[in-house]
Amino acid sequence: MSETTATRPFIVEPGPHVHVEESTARIMWWVNGSLAPAAIWGVFVFGLPALIVLVSSIAGALGGEALAQRLLKRRLTLADGSAFCTGLLLAMTLPPRLPWYAALLGGLFAILFGKMIFGGLGFNLFNPALVGRAFLMASFPLAMTAGWMAPQPWFRAPLDAATTPTPLAALREHGLGAALAAASAHGSPWLALLLGLRPGSIGEVSVLLVALGAAVLLARGILRLTIPLAVFAGVALVTLPSGTVALQLTGGGLWLGAFFMATDYVTSPNTRNGQIVFGLVIGMLTAVIRLYGGYPEGICYAILLANTLVPALNLWFRPRRVALAGAPS
Amino acid sequence: MTVTLHTFSKGGIHPATHKDLTASAPIETLPPPSEVWLPLSQHIGEPSVPCVAKNDLVVRGQKIAEAAGSGVPIHASISGKVRPLDKRPHPTLVSAPCIIIAGDGQRTEREWTDDPAWRELPREEAIARIRDAGLVGLGGAAFPTWRKLTLPPGAKVDTLVINGAECEPYLTSDFRTMLEQPLEVVEGSIAMARLTGVKRVMLGIEIDKSAAIAPLEAAAREARTDGITFEVVPCEVRYPQGAEKQLVESLLGRKVPARALPSAVGVVVQNVATAVAVVDALRWRKPLMDRVVTVTGDGVPHPKNLRVPLGTLLSALVQACGGVSPDVTRVIAGGPMMGRALPRLDLPVVKGLNGLVLLKGRGPLEDGNGPCISCARCVDACPLGLEPDQVSIRVEAGKSLESGPFGALECYECGSCSYVCPSGRPLLQFMQVAKATVRRAGELRIAT
Repeated sequence: MSETTATRPFIVEPGPHVHVEESTARIMWWVNGSLAPAAIWGVFVFGLPALIVLVSSIAGALGGEALAQRLLKRRLTLADGSAFCTGLLLAMTLPPRLPWYAALLGGLFAILFGKMIFGGLGFNLFNPALVGRAFLMASFPLAMTAGWMAPQPWFRAPLDAATTPTPLAALREHGLGAALAAASAHGSPWLALLLGLRPGSIGEVSVLLVALGAAVLLARGILRLTIPLAVFAGVALVTLPSGTVALQLTGGGLWLGAFFMATDYVTSPNTRNGQIVFGLVIGMLTAVIRLYGGYPEGICYAILLANTLVPALNLWFRPRRVALAGAPS
Repeated sequence: MTVTLHTFSKGGIHPATHKDLTASAPIETLPPPSEVWLPLSQHIGEPSVPCVAKNDLVVRGQKIAEAAGSGVPIHASISGKVRPLDKRPHPTLVSAPCIIIAGDGQRTEREWTDDPAWRELPREEAIARIRDAGLVGLGGAAFPTWRKLTLPPGAKVDTLVINGAECEPYLTSDFRTMLEQPLEVVEGSIAMARLTGVKRVMLGIEIDKSAAIAPLEAAAREARTDGITFEVVPCEVRYPQGAEKQLVESLLGRKVPARALPSAVGVVVQNVATAVAVVDALRWRKPLMDRVVTVTGDGVPHPKNLRVPLGTLLSALVQACGGVSPDVTRVIAGGPMMGRALPRLDLPVVKGLNGLVLLKGRGPLEDGNGPCISCARCVDACPLGLEPDQVSIRVEAGKSLESGPFGALECYECGSCSYVCPSGRPLLQFMQVAKATVRRAGELRIAT
């Protein structure tokens, strides 16, 4: 034994020789898994149309990534869960009655022009799912703003169900009373807002389930509360005078955006102070768009705009050096 | 009882420690091997100069190579016959000239006499004994101890920190030393405190080694301390607590400036095993002939702590632990965080080798790596507040020279960034490339 083992060549790699039990793919699939309850609830509440949107959007995203990587002769990385995440997140921001081909195109566009054109995973400036959503807002404005439906018992929803305004759209047109009425088809409007029994995007409706998913990521150390809390603070700050803070915080896509899109590693700042500024900007922009802009919702464009600040925020807010050269403390 | 645990202010990681493999294994002494290879370079500084010739008969403890410059001498670790000076593989230098001694199996050793006045030696005499004993830092860096005890002119030092953190996963040689030789640890520390003119000794120990705290404190009450206080300070388990800069911050809250030594903030740091060797050197004038090595990992059947003569081949250490398991892929000299992977086992134990970790399975880099996803885990893990992510993307883009502001020069290569990177990026190596490039550019600028 000794002769052979003494001279047997071993693998020589630079250190460290141990690694944490975590990988990009694992993180992405945990994110996907933690989004699942809210997405499944969306399908339960809005029925088959919502499922079709989900499947189409994810298929578009996966197809877009496969296409780009095939054309660029790169390694196929569908298994890392990142394109799946983009497709899933996009679908969760879409109205349930959006035509399937629009959702498919959205997923495709999100990956091709939100991610691959910048160089793929890690190099994109904007949140890809929101690039997809912005594209759909421009390309299918009617379906994107009128594709809402009232909550329906599972699978009994007819494909041509009547459209209903979302609480925030009603707030914009007719004030707080109308907004609460839009959410009160199933009893108390506030309970409906928490549970997701109200018209809205597929994945945004239940703030409770979005929060549950976020809690899982929080416990796994994947997510930190800095950005979401700053977003909420920004919204509250600007909407306080309007007296609609509670509805603003729960009536739209804020939770989904704050916990799952503003926190995207690639497109958010690295340090805590940078993240606080980033979150505040998103929250305040969201509120400004909602109150004074042209849309009832604002989180999508607010995040996309704030994404452009990230390189600068990373340079302005640097980690504090523990001890600089020549500066004894 | 609640104990306030000390620790450093930023970053750090919590890798699985695997210390249970050997923590309860008392230090075993190996019988003398049939042959030792003693490299002339086992310390930081000039190689030693042989003072024995082919076919000379030597006894254990006899000087076989003189110190050169700021270096230290080397002593025979077994008795036997000197063979021709030859090049042999070396754990860190690839290959180096070695004095080879063929053992006679007799364990003939020089006579050691107890010097009752060892605590009152004049400073020069004490430093000379430490130097003549070939003593270097046994925590891994192998910096000559006498040089560390000779403070730069003008340095004002008030505290001696004894490093018992042993933050590297797997290693337990320092823990066993503290547990089995607490009195020597304390007395050696007090002696070094006296030589550096400080009145305070703080021994930092991570709390997973708490079993050694009571013996150390008992020893501190028993030992003659000459008015020097000896305090055992429990610390959190957190890598890289055992790095000098982090330990000084943990114990004293003082931040050692980048690229400076702890003496810049009034501290000298020495390892626990070095303290034990200092007692041997001062009291018995016994040179460094053996050292304790933890042989461990899932790649050996019976992990152990072994006291072995310097120059013993690693293959003999592994044999004593039941041999190499068939599917071992990696052998690490030192701990798995900052240690070095070895290609083979026919290498000698050198003064700075504190552990040998044999691992199965794939290494962290074997699965390739992905792009940076800006998760900032490396930024959070860096104990110095550097930005490995920013350095890495600049090095990848061929812009290493622009990475200076993100801290490449300050990095002391603890590897925490690479450890946490979910994309498996070799961030430590990016830091090294950036450091080398920035340094060379600086040298060129000065030269032209």
